[in-house]
Amino acid sequence: MLAGKAPGLQHPNSNSILRGLIITLAYDDVNRTVTKRLLEKIGCEVTAVSSGFECLSALSNVEMPYRVVILDLQMPEMDGFEVAMKIRKFYGYHWPLIIALTASTEDHVRERCLQMGVNGMIQKPVLLHVMDSELRRALQSASE
Amino acid sequence: MDALVAQLQMQYRNYTVSLYQQGFLDDQFTELKKLQDDASPDFVAEVLSLFFEDCVKLIGNMARALDQTGTVDFSQVGASVHQLKGSSSSVGAKRVKGLCITFKEYCEANNYEGCVRCLQQVDIEFKALQTKLQDMFNLEKQIIQAGGKVPQVDIN
Repeated sequence: MLAGKAPGLQHPNSNSILRGLIITLAYDDVNRTVTKRLLEKIGCEVTAVSSGFECLSALSNVEMPYRVVILDLQMPEMDGFEVAMKIRKFYGYHWPLIIALTASTEDHVRERCLQMGVNGMIQKPVLLHVMDSELRRALQSASE
Repeated sequence: MDALVAQLQMQYRNYTVSLYQQGFLDDQFTELKKLQDDASPDFVAEVLSLFFEDCVKLIGNMARALDQTGTVDFSQVGASVHQLKGSSSSVGAKRVKGLCITFKEYCEANNYEGCVRCLQQVDIEFKALQTKLQDMFNLEKQIIQAGGKVPQVDIN
């Protein structure tokens, strides 16, 4: 599914862990475009959606085995936590992995994430190397 | 030809560095540049274009919300400010982001005059950034047209 080797980062043998489908959910065009490109840059195949509904619809497509959902928690008119809850309710607690993007450093956000079955958290604005390592970490622990 | 390219490249470097030094851009813009490559050669310009469209839309929302005769819904203004803060943060638009932080505080304090001032400033700032970046992109084009490559600018 990858178009050639993942450009930019020197991880010669470990790119296979990042191969796979990812959904990224963010409300506004700017964040969606940036996150999508960032994920593509590190070697992922990405579907970008802008609503919880689209996200759940994409997940229900059996021909596209999504492994990870990157979920922006701070979206207007949409509760990111609710989307996470619905994903867990319909798809269980193992797959897909959910990585939350948040602007907040507050403890209660972290706790809520854990309660919702979120597998990882990244602070916004997202740095390329942080997304890379957090994805690897989450995928690694999921396969153990 | 080479002398021209070298001169343009130097101009470009200096201009880019000045944008960071003057606080127009921050590290997040550097991150954006990392995402641009042969597969996505105009990525930065495309994202910034989306961002400026966002600015116009959100500033319009804020202006309308502040223009209500009767009571102003500061939470509505705040919601747009929050969005603008998010997208400006994602593209490295440092001054715009900073203004949004102040703007948000005025919204939370229901401070009408403060909000109106911030609105005016945000409008000025995003337009200033738009002009600066247009000049930067034009320099890139000139370098390429002169047969050169756009240099990687090391801010630190």
